[in-house]
Amino acid sequence: MSILVKADTKVLVHGITGKIGSRQTKLMLDYGTRVVAGVTPGRGGEEVFGVPVYDSVNDAREEHSPDASLIFVPALFAKDTCFEAMEAGVRLIVLITEHIPVHDTMEIRAMANARGAVVIGPTTPGIIYPGKMKIGIMPGNMFCPGNVGLISRSGTLTYEIAGNLCDMGIGQSTAVGMGADPVVCTSLTQLLHMFEEDQETHLVAIVGEVGGTEEERAAEYIKKEMRKPVVAYIAGRSVPPGKRMGHAGAIVERGMGSAQSKVRALKEAGVEVAERPTEVTEVVKGILGEKYD
Amino acid sequence: MRIHEYEAKNLFRESKIPVPRGDVATSPGEARGVAEEIGLPVTIKAQVLVGGRGKAGGIKFAEDLGQVEELSRKVLGMDIKGYKVGSVLVEEKLEVERELYLGVTIDGSRGCPIVMTSSEGGVEIEETARRHPKKIFSKEIRPFEDLRAYQARELAKKLGFGGKSMLQLARVISGLYQAFKNYDALIAEINPVVMTRGGEFVAADAVFQIDDSALFRHPDLGIKPEDRIPDELEREARKIGVSYVNMDGDIGLICSGAGLGMATMDMIREKMRPANFLETGGGMTRELMAGALRVVLKKPNLKAVFINIYGGINPIHEGAKGIVDVVREENVKIPIVAKALGNLQEETWETLESAGIKVVKETQTARAVEELFRAVEGRC
Repeated sequence: MSILVKADTKVLVHGITGKIGSRQTKLMLDYGTRVVAGVTPGRGGEEVFGVPVYDSVNDAREEHSPDASLIFVPALFAKDTCFEAMEAGVRLIVLITEHIPVHDTMEIRAMANARGAVVIGPTTPGIIYPGKMKIGIMPGNMFCPGNVGLISRSGTLTYEIAGNLCDMGIGQSTAVGMGADPVVCTSLTQLLHMFEEDQETHLVAIVGEVGGTEEERAAEYIKKEMRKPVVAYIAGRSVPPGKRMGHAGAIVERGMGSAQSKVRALKEAGVEVAERPTEVTEVVKGILGEKYD
Repeated sequence: MRIHEYEAKNLFRESKIPVPRGDVATSPGEARGVAEEIGLPVTIKAQVLVGGRGKAGGIKFAEDLGQVEELSRKVLGMDIKGYKVGSVLVEEKLEVERELYLGVTIDGSRGCPIVMTSSEGGVEIEETARRHPKKIFSKEIRPFEDLRAYQARELAKKLGFGGKSMLQLARVISGLYQAFKNYDALIAEINPVVMTRGGEFVAADAVFQIDDSALFRHPDLGIKPEDRIPDELEREARKIGVSYVNMDGDIGLICSGAGLGMATMDMIREKMRPANFLETGGGMTRELMAGALRVVLKKPNLKAVFINIYGGINPIHEGAKGIVDVVREENVKIPIVAKALGNLQEETWETLESAGIKVVKETQTARAVEELFRAVEGRC
């Protein structure tokens, strides 16, 4: 199994007629995702790679009852789009859009909590159920099916680590990008909990980075609640304080968010912390044992 | 994006937060003019977008007009942590009875704003949190709700104020929250709030950081972030639309993601020193990649450039063309080592190799970094 998605999850793509939206729709269809419809206001009636386009989520819902929304719209419209999807009853939203104002994200998160929806992101590469489907922008060829649950703050680093794992024959049950903004809508702890409950997941790998206190909070959860083994890698040991490293959330400031603090908290919770991305594979292999030799 | 103290105080005025009388000045003459208008003594404060200016000598007190000119001249043109002082704020010197701390920030893990107050003014809130956590009173604010007037009064009361003082301080707290909310702030801080001998509460200082991603909603502020970055290369990169952090080494770096960029930097650091961090984000084009490489190459004494990109959302085959354009145009002689994987990787490799770039086709960045080390050491 997988977390958050199933092989036949029906996906609605917001911003499907855009350059990125249409290209990524094609890549998802090729990977096996059931992209049932798209929404671009004002473009209802068109088609993108055979996928019908609607003016609104409500219009699309009547024909296709989508399970999940994938959002590519510009930051300015992201909050409105999320609200539209949630109010139409969509329960899973993957928010790819970067540079959404943090005050908007806080409202999206609060609305999701109020409506019982799960929003992944913003600034996420999405979710992939390797070999079956993906809702997002990750290159499918870097992932393979298996039993490692993968959670990451960073897109490209997820690809790297999944690729390393696959090279050693270790696949993933689901890989989820939690997003790299100062506020994300689904926390690391919530995702860990989903993997803890998922039968196909034997081990969870966390790919963290500097900034915020998500890893420190997750460490508390791991210590108290988790029985499955957890492996982690934290990017940014050599990051200078006070500098924003690309991601809006990746900054060591006010004495918070350093890689050292995260590594310490995770180690104290019994997590094996790899020094380099490559080492994640070695540690995972060590824990999962001969099965993968 | 942090804004200047005087700009923040203008926002405070809009929210009815009392601030000291005064004005900003860009020359000793102007500073004198301000002092003449508001009366002596005055405080002269360097306007820089970085903390710690007091310790760096950027805050002075002047008793007479001659001193105002002299000290302003000294402060103007100072360099504080890489920021040149272009203006000073000349303000009335307050008669301090007590100092408090007041701040609104975002609790990233809880996903909501949090109002923090403390009776320990003038001290960093992080230090108070360590040493006297019981002296901090805070209130989380639910999105879609504002800080209520009664909640502000409760905070004022917890700080030990009653009667009119409580009401007045509560108005300052509410005002700060309003400014925070109205201007998409990440941090709005008054440290210290001064209670004057006359019993008034005044914002003596102001730290205000606006979310870069929300600046488009505030054109009235007229802030262009690229004008406020002191480092020339960082400024140039910002104009192109990539994230660049200048570092002290000699290995240029271009990555297509922040996490990958940081991990790559950590690995290079095991043996060599990165000259920069550069992350393209998800909007790669041929032009963007060419621009990124041009900025990286501007750093003097580079020994090599390392490129680490993934084709997820990014069309790396287009990016590769931009790299090759610059390599040919500028006749680049230092080694370039590239790792490129993902959608359309074969086409990308072919393009890069056509310009003599060493392409590493394995998944492990560590392997590619070893290749980089070999390329650099082979030349020494």
